[in-house]
This record gives sequence, structure tokens and C-alpha cells, in this order.
Amino acid sequence: MASRHVDRGCRDALKPLRCALVTGPLGTVRLEGAVLRLGSRRVPLRSGALHYWRLDPDRWSDALRGLASLGLPIVETYAPWSVHEIERGRFDFGRLDRRRDLGRFLDLAAELGLLAFVRPGPHVNAELTWFGLPERVLHDAACQARSPRQNPVLLPWPPRMFPVPSHASSAFLREAGAWYDAVATVLAPRLYPAGNVVLVQVDNEAAFYFRNGAYDQDYHPEAVALYRQFLLERYGSLEQIGAAHRRRYASLDDVVPPSRFDATGPDALAEHLDWAAFAEHLVATSLDRLCARLDRAGVRGVPRVHNVALGDGGLPIHVPTLARHVDLVGFDYYHTAREYRTVKRRTLYLCGTLGTAYAPELGVGAPPWFTPLTHDDSFFTALVACAFGLRGLNLYMAVDRDRWYGAALDAYGGARRDSASWRSLLAALDALRFERLERPAEVGLVVPPEYRRLSRVTHTLGGVLSAAALEALGGTPVDGCRRQTLGFAQPIQIAWWERLERLAEALTRLGIPYVYVDAGASPAQLRKRRLLLVPSYEFMAPASWDALVEAASAGSTVVWGPHTPHLDDAMRRRPFPVPERGWCAPAETDAQAGALVEELARRFELGPPFGIEPAPCECSLHTDERGPRALFVLNPSPRPVCATLRLPGPTVLHDALGDVRLEGSDRIELSLSARECRLFRVERHPNAAQSRQAPSRRAAA
Amino acid sequence: MIADDIRIDGFDARSWTNLLSLFSPRLQVTDAGEAGPEPPQPAREASGTLVVVVDAQGRVLAALGSRRGRIDDVESADDLAALRERYGVRRVVVLREGVLEEIVERLALRVRRDDDYVAQWLALARIVREMTDAGLVRVHPRRWAGLPIPTAATVRRAVDVVLPDERAAVFTLWDGPQPWTAVVIRRRRGCIDRLAGPESLLRWTGPLGGDWRRDHRVIEEAVTRSCAPVHVGLYAEAHTFRRLLARPTAGHWALAVATRDLIVHPMPPYVSVALAADAARAATTRARRWGPTAGLFDAAGTLLSAVRARLPEVASITEILGFDPLRALEALQRREP
Repeated sequence: MASRHVDRGCRDALKPLRCALVTGPLGTVRLEGAVLRLGSRRVPLRSGALHYWRLDPDRWSDALRGLASLGLPIVETYAPWSVHEIERGRFDFGRLDRRRDLGRFLDLAAELGLLAFVRPGPHVNAELTWFGLPERVLHDAACQARSPRQNPVLLPWPPRMFPVPSHASSAFLREAGAWYDAVATVLAPRLYPAGNVVLVQVDNEAAFYFRNGAYDQDYHPEAVALYRQFLLERYGSLEQIGAAHRRRYASLDDVVPPSRFDATGPDALAEHLDWAAFAEHLVATSLDRLCARLDRAGVRGVPRVHNVALGDGGLPIHVPTLARHVDLVGFDYYHTAREYRTVKRRTLYLCGTLGTAYAPELGVGAPPWFTPLTHDDSFFTALVACAFGLRGLNLYMAVDRDRWYGAALDAYGGARRDSASWRSLLAALDALRFERLERPAEVGLVVPPEYRRLSRVTHTLGGVLSAAALEALGGTPVDGCRRQTLGFAQPIQIAWWERLERLAEALTRLGIPYVYVDAGASPAQLRKRRLLLVPSYEFMAPASWDALVEAASAGSTVVWGPHTPHLDDAMRRRPFPVPERGWCAPAETDAQAGALVEELARRFELGPPFGIEPAPCECSLHTDERGPRALFVLNPSPRPVCATLRLPGPTVLHDALGDVRLEGSDRIELSLSARECRLFRVERHPNAAQSRQAPSRRAAA
Repeated sequence: MIADDIRIDGFDARSWTNLLSLFSPRLQVTDAGEAGPEPPQPAREASGTLVVVVDAQGRVLAALGSRRGRIDDVESADDLAALRERYGVRRVVVLREGVLEEIVERLALRVRRDDDYVAQWLALARIVREMTDAGLVRVHPRRWAGLPIPTAATVRRAVDVVLPDERAAVFTLWDGPQPWTAVVIRRRRGCIDRLAGPESLLRWTGPLGGDWRRDHRVIEEAVTRSCAPVHVGLYAEAHTFRRLLARPTAGHWALAVATRDLIVHPMPPYVSVALAADAARAATTRARRWGPTAGLFDAAGTLLSAVRARLPEVASITEILGFDPLRALEALQRREP
């Protein structure tokens, strides 16, 4: 069964793409959700990573064929600055070392019918020493990020700690621009439709290079200047800045960023929240500058992507803002099977906030210095992410390489023991046309970014053990927050997260599909949900509240609480008009959250079409315009379970990753192994009317 | 000691997690070949670390456990032993607010551009020691309090003994006829510059015969040919090696070598010393309990004689290392401090 998938997958991957590259109509590349539109052709956004400079060029062809045989239409690669720069201002693209011949590699991929997704940095990480940046640049003081005491900011990463660059440094941007000019000589002529490059990533996991505590950096003089400008734009005048910060500033130079958290009450919070908001602004500005520089270098006309590292809940980024600067933002996934809830939450956040969930790095294996991941960890993570709506993915790594373990294929493109699983999953997604399905969810849990910022500034474990690091290590971004109430009724920095967790748990218990929506998402994303549940306390950013009021005017119902805010995020009193539809409700205990969700389920008839017992098993339904098409059934617990699946009517389920067929009129019983996720193709029973009374059948498997 | 261009390759997910599972009790394996989920921790077994952050007045600002996340009911960080007992953790760390920021500021000032990774970490260790001595970091139990932090030169001298320059160390465990995990470590120009896994090893050897007691010679030759001359090689079946790591009984390592359940070849002096010490411990223990046991003495006798002949040479090694490597492996497996 699997081998038939291989052959067909390989043929399907190569044949139509070859046609497109040779004879396809010319046109630009557009992203439609997780589909790449190339002229009149549509290609699902599924790729696999292969690092050309790490392989013997004589093996590139084998490795690319192996990648295509997995069923992937796109090859992804970084193009590392430090590999190609042989001395300042001199770059080699194959003249001195064949391994550096990026152009030949891309042409070879095109000959084999593969499209290309290229990530030229400037930061690539890729487990390269210095993260793919030239060492000379890192040791240029003008390029370095600065600590509160103006020291360089060291990243303790193997195999050498190094000072990280500043997102604000114009010297660094100039250096990066020279690299872009150089790499553009290879990339620009190969952009679609002239070549096979259909996607380009700008920078990599941009968020202060893993030194992302609120007061860790960046106190680079240019960052401080940008901070002042940011405040001026936000408040309009120096006086207004002073009023918000409860300080008297004689000139803009007097405005100094806070270097540690010292607030004891609401009045002193504004400058800390501003500093946290500025960090997000700085990352977005940096991306914007790099995008403009790429444009200038001639790499334009194809969609731009950016990836967000693990620990997004605690990172100094704001996803909706990033999405305004690039075409597609996605999350990187490297999780153990135990982190099921984190995988679910992250995917639901992408779905609810951006509409499309994409993984620029879906971990297949990991770096040796990372939390050890088994194949089962990686595969379970991939299935869970798909279950909750991941539509596009890049298998990272598809082909093995230095400083990595567990890639799907060996360094010669040969199949490893676990590659059959990946091939089978990709074939199933293809067969289901998974990229076009939807996971209906009427409930949105709203994430106000100002509360995330408060959590970041109240984190007590510095920058190396930052909120993001705790989350990436399996905790939550509020684990290290100080517990003081700061003059509010409760520690908001922790309470908002817990309220959302309680509501999520209650919704999951009733099998009600939901997503997370950032309050800063586009109004369309908020309006999509019939019901919006939002944590709200004494203060809230007016933009967040206004978005909810607007969504309520457009027909959504908003349930907020435990407080109706009366302060903005600069802690100034202002009116907060009550949304047209909705009410304030407590959910500060599990019982309150459960009761609230039960009431909402009754009032809004939120019952799911499929249900499963016992907890904590879950199912997740994906539909298209014809109705149910795919059903994921999950057992996240570490023990095997005999589960009962409740059906909306006579239904046939085909195991998309095997050859099991299950059918039932109103229920199906099935066995699930520990931490197992199964994917079924859903069909209405051919004799639906007659078999409505048929007894349920135990799974043949 | 670690090359900037260190190459690590040839591992699939199984061989890598198998290797780590030898030293990490959290990564359990269900049998010789399959990595499995973490087993539930016995309820009373201490595990993880409790971290408490306090302000200058000693008030608790935050507390979290490495295995259970945020903990709300830590009221005081005065009695660390009581905290350890109450929360069932292996250790308690109390940090003064801002100390982590102080550590990284100092590190940035002290690390030099040409320091390698080991030197950088030693600098960090010295700063943490300063913070501990100043009472800004409190750790309980404080196992390492009396130990001096070595200089980079001392560490280099120790590594010179364990794995000299331009030499390789080979470690292979078998599950039936196939390597279950393997790693080849090479040192070149003073630095560890290569970690190669089973796939690389098998490319160098070609197909193996399936009898590990013979195959180890093929491996040694292939590594010498393709990588570097082998300074120390350690070969066994995976279940044998796991049993050896798990059993703290004196003499079992020496016995395993004597009965060829564990093959060490070549056997550098420091391994000889460790094995001899192991055999001697066993002999002493048994003599004390039941009088001399012929079987063990017979098995270890040859080994002991060989080692005795090299005692002047190995005395300096023990001095430099300052620890018994096999005991250290055992401790790692049992997570002894």
C-alpha cells in the first residue's frame, strides 16, 4: 500500500510541475491560503528542507529525487551569508567551491520539477556557528545589540557563544544589504516565472536571537532613538509621553527606556508596557527594512514568508503586525508528544488570528542540542497540528545533514526507516486536498496583546530563561511572572492566561471547536466567530476593546470578564462602551468556566457533529463545501484508550494512513494507542437511509 | 576543546535518542531497540528543580517547578531543605531578583573573542560561583560547593589524556546484529571536531557480519582508515551496557570485560585503572563478606596484573582526572549528584 503511494506521489510531484515550468502560463505567484497560485496552477504549500552547501554536489540530484519521492512539490533551503562570504565584500557562488553553487542547485531542482523556497537570512541559524552570520559582523560593535549597561548581548549557543546583532543597527542593515545584493545575483534571475523560486523568507525567527527578556536588550543607541520616535508617534507630544509615564521630560533625550521592572502599581506600568510594545515594533520594523532591501536588490514578486520560533506566547512579537509586513507568517514546531496542548494552542492561534496556519519548520528530527525528539514525537506533533488546522508545512529536515538527527531521508536521499510515515501522511493530505479544507469553529478565545506584554515585563527570570524559553521548554509563558497584584484585583499577568486556559478546557470537554484570535487581528478574523470570549481586567488597550465592540456590531457576541475595563494601557481613565451583543461573566474557577461554556453551548447550539468519549480523547472535523471530509481522532493521554465516536448519522470512515474501514450508524468504537492521532476520510454511508437503524460495529482493526 | 566547525552527523532519531537514553533516565527505552514514552514517576521520588525568585527583602516574587510549572503557595524561601521536602524536588534554587541579569552582564565583560565554548562556560561557572558566594544564588543541596572550578588549561590536559589529538574514540552498542547506537568522537587540532553516528560508521565499514564480537575489529579498522586512529573503543550489546550502568555493584564492569560481554579495545591506561579499581573494590567487598571468591579473582586477575604493570603511568592520569569515569557513568545513570 505504502509503496504505491511512493510511486504515485513521486510521479504526481514531478509531472505537473515540470509542465508548469516549461509550458505553464507566465504570471506572478500568489498565495491563496495554503495554496500557491502559479498562473492558473495551484500547488499546495508543502515543502521539504535540504541544505545544498552541506551535501556533496554530486549527491544533490539523488537528494532532490528522494525529496520529491516523499510527495513534496517544493524544496526549501537556507542560503547562509557566512557560507558564501569569503571575505568582506567578496562572495562565492560556486566558482571556488562547488558546494556553494546555489544557482546550479536551484537549476537542478527545476530540472527535476521541483519549485524552490529560499531563505537568505540574513540570520538563518541552521545550527551554523554564528547562526550563518559572518563572524566579523558579529564582532563589529556598531552591529551589536546592547544590554542595559551597554554590554554586548551574548547568546550561549553551541558550539560558541556570540554577541547577537541589533535589529535596530543601520550598520548591520547595510552589511545585510550587501549580502542581499550578492545573493540576488543568483536568486533574481530564478524567480518565478523565469525560474522555480516561488517563495522567499525574510530573516529567521526574528525576536532578538533568543535573548528576548523584556529588559535583556536592545539598548543600542539607534534602538533607543527608535523607541523615542515610537513614543512620539503613539502619544503625539513629549508632554503626553510624560503624562503617560508619570514623569516630567524636558526633552526627548530625557526619555530613557526602563532597564528593570520596578512598578508597584498601575501608575508606573505605562512605560514598561510601552517598552514591551516597542520591542514588537522593533522586530516588525526590522523585517520591514529587510523587505525593502530585498526589493532593492531585485528579489521581489514572490510571496514573502517569516517564521516564528517556539515560545511564541512569550516572544516580543505581535503576529498580526508581522503579517502586515510579509505575506505569510508561520510557527516552527519542535515538540514532544507530551506538549500536545501547546501544539494545539499554537495552531489554533494561527488559524484564528491569520486564517491560515503554516509551519515553515515542522520538525522532522532536531538539532543535537535540543530537547530529544523521537520519530513518534515529530509525527504525533505533525498530525496534531494538522488536526487543528495546519494547512501548509515545510518538513525540516527532509534530507539529513550536519548538526541534525532524525531527518526523513539520509544525506544521500535514501529512505530511512521512518520516511514511510511521512510519505504516507503527505499522500493522505494530497488525496484529501487538505489545503482547501476548513475546520469550522464558531468560538474565538481572544488574546489581548497588552496582557501578553504585562506578562513579559513581570517575568522574573531574565533573558536567557525568558518567558519564551520557559514555554519552549514545556512550560507556559506566565510560569515565571511575579505574583503581585500591582494594585489590581488580581495578578493580571497570570490571570488572563489562566482564564483562557480554563475556557479552552471547558470547550474541549464539550467537544466545541474554537480558535484563538489575537485582538489585533484583522477585523474580518474577529467577525468570523459567532462568539468571542475575552479576558478583561481593569485596564485594556482601547484598540483591543474597540475591535470587540466592532465585532459585536457586526453580529458577534462578546463575553468578557471578570472586569469591564476603565483604564487604557497607559493607565488613563477613559470610557469603554459596552458591546452591542454580549455581557460580562466570571470564569475565574473551573466550575465558573464550565458553567459559562455550558450555558453558551445551550444558548448558541454549539454542539459538535461528531463527539468522542472518554476524555481526554478529542476529534477534529474538517469540511469543504460538500460537507465533512476529514476527521482526526486523538488520544493525547499516555495510556491506550477504547474510545466511542458519536456520529451525526450513518457514516463510513477510511483510515487515510492505513487500510482500515470503519462504519456505523450512530457510533463507532475504536482503540487508540497512547498518544495516537488517526486521520480518517469521512464518507456518508452509501445506504444512509436504510442503515440508520443498523447497530454500531466495532472497529475491524 | 570544541571546534567551531564541529560536525555531527549520521544519526537518525532512534540512534540519537538511544544514545541519550543511556545517560538520561527521562528518555526510557522499552527494549533494546525502541525508544518509548517517559514512564510515570513514582509518587515519592524526588524529581526536578524548584526555582524561587525573591526580592531584596526576601519576599517571594515567583516560584516554579521544572516538572510542574508555576507554584503559588511558596510563602518563604528561608528554609530550603523544608522546601525541598515539601515539594518533593531534587534541588531548590533561590535567586535574588535581577541576579540572572547580573550574571549575563558580567559574562559579556569577561568572555573574550578567542575563548572557545568550554572556556566560555567556565567563565560562566565562575560568575555563578561569585553570585552564590555573595548569597544572591542559594542552592540546596550544595553538592559542588567545595569543588574548585578548573581552568581551561586543566580541562584541556584532562582531555589530552582521555582522547589525545588526532585520535578517535568509538562507542558502539548492538541490538542483535545491528548497531543500536554508536558514536565516533574525533579530536583534531586540539578540538573535538567530529561526532559521527551509526549511519556514518556503517558507510565506513560497509556491511557488517552480524557478530559484534568480531565486527568491532572491522569498525576499528574502518574508523582508523576513514576518520582517525582509535584511542579507545567500547563495544557491547545494548542490554548488557544498560545493565552495567544500572547496577551499582562493585566489580561488574571488570567482570564484563573479563568475560568479553564488554570489549574495550584499544584500552588506554585510564580505563585500565578504572577497571582495576572496580575489580579491587569487588574483591575487597567480597573478601569482607565471604572471604575470597575464586571466580571473580580469576576473571579480574589478568586485568589486574596488566594494570599493575602500568601503575606509575596511570597515577598521573587519576590525579588529572580526579574521578573514576565508570563511577561517573553509573552516577549519571542513577542521577546521583
